Amino acid sequence: MGKNGAGKTTLVKLFNGLLKPDKGEIFVNNKNIITLSIAELAHIIGFVFQNADNQIFSRTVSDEIGFILKNFGYNESDINNQVSNILKRFNLEQFKERSPFLLSGGERKRVALASILCANPEIVILDEPTIGQDASEKKKLVSLLQELNQNRVTIIIITHDIEFIAEYIPHCILMRKGLLIAEGPTKYLLANEKLLEEASLIKPQLVQLSDLLNFEKGLHTLEYMKEQILEFLKS
Amino acid sequence: MAINFLEAFKFKRKNTFIHNLDPRTKLYFALIITIISLCFNTIIPLLILFLSIIPFFILGKIMTQWINTLRGLIFLAIFIIIIDTLFIEFNLGVAMSLRLFALISAFTLFFLTVHPDDFSQSLIQMKVPFSFAFALSLAIRFVPTLSQEAQNVREAQMVRGLELQKGNILKKVKNFIPIIIPLIILSIQRAMVVAESLESRGFGASKKRTYLYPLKMKMKDFFIIILLTGLLIFIIWILITGSLPSWMQFRIPF
Repeated sequence: MGKNGAGKTTLVKLFNGLLKPDKGEIFVNNKNIITLSIAELAHIIGFVFQNADNQIFSRTVSDEIGFILKNFGYNESDINNQVSNILKRFNLEQFKERSPFLLSGGERKRVALASILCANPEIVILDEPTIGQDASEKKKLVSLLQELNQNRVTIIIITHDIEFIAEYIPHCILMRKGLLIAEGPTKYLLANEKLLEEASLIKPQLVQLSDLLNFEKGLHTLEYMKEQILEFLKS
Repeated sequence: MAINFLEAFKFKRKNTFIHNLDPRTKLYFALIITIISLCFNTIIPLLILFLSIIPFFILGKIMTQWINTLRGLIFLAIFIIIIDTLFIEFNLGVAMSLRLFALISAFTLFFLTVHPDDFSQSLIQMKVPFSFAFALSLAIRFVPTLSQEAQNVREAQMVRGLELQKGNILKKVKNFIPIIIPLIILSIQRAMVVAESLESRGFGASKKRTYLYPLKMKMKDFFIIILLTGLLIFIIWILITGSLPSWMQFRIPF
């Protein structure tokens, strides 16, 4: 996380070879990425762009999702299998034969995500996945990400959505002016006023509430807050 | 590569003799170069014409952008030479490439040294309807945006394993489909947004507009216009009397 222009997107574009490092080296799975092409890196790292319209071009949703596998040289039947799998997992089956251009913004975003995850990457980078998503779509996104995480997929998210991070993302990196200013568990970082100010962020609402009530410093879970408040009322 | 030639539209404000000329003078310059280049179809006159434009780029301190623009055109030039050699003759091919370079250079000089706003202002003062002039300057304004967007789309498809340089020529052309289609969609979307935003700010609400900075021709503008007109008359006179020296008709033996 960090302010606009802090270098978040630049950093992740270095991970998948879209930008080349001026100095230093980047290793993915113990391989220096300079030795790999962008297409080879795409087997390992999936990158979902912020604007789904940057990538949608196919006639049907299935073609759009299968595009990456076609580029990787899979045969027809494997592609069909994998695509129908993904369609089921993403709840997109009813749109299978529809044109992706006729879907809503949130649905297009889901198609874009599906079109990357279809290749089963080990690392997934999401640029602003929550922008333009309504509450129910956000929930679906979260359950998808949790499922991925259980399958030992590394997920990197760039976002300004502090409530989203506070609620679901356990580990967090703050950036400012191209530099990394802090890294650690979300519950400590997002309760640290000085760090948040440096990164031009505001405290999540849960932290604001616990500060107001003079609870122990930190980002607490909803359950914990409820118990504390009940106790507070009793006393 | 192909995106290089979009450099021609990247205006930067500079304080040079060329930048300070009136846009209409520079437009006139480009038109005269166009007419002269259409008057000849042999190598030497077109080469002289092309070389004579170079000093203006040096004066305007825009050599690098100009060279980038020409570099983007090299493919087209080679293509012209090949086609002309196959169907007509080699000399004409070279001459036509030079004509292309001269034409593009003249208009590159115009676009690199005229601010888009001044451009539309000069059109308006030449009695072009406001909405046309505005649309034209808007189009120029969006060229860099388009090239940025093309870059984004390219990256989005590259991370999906698209390799542009792979395959034979037919495959390479096909590789561009996943880039062209999103680009068209994005442009249409933006056109709608721009139109709505213009209307919500009262575009076309008043029939008679006044302008904050009307353009004014200066002495040097008139001087250059007279020079250019003289040059044009001279060349037409040469063509009519047919008194072109024979070395001007030089042909590369091929």
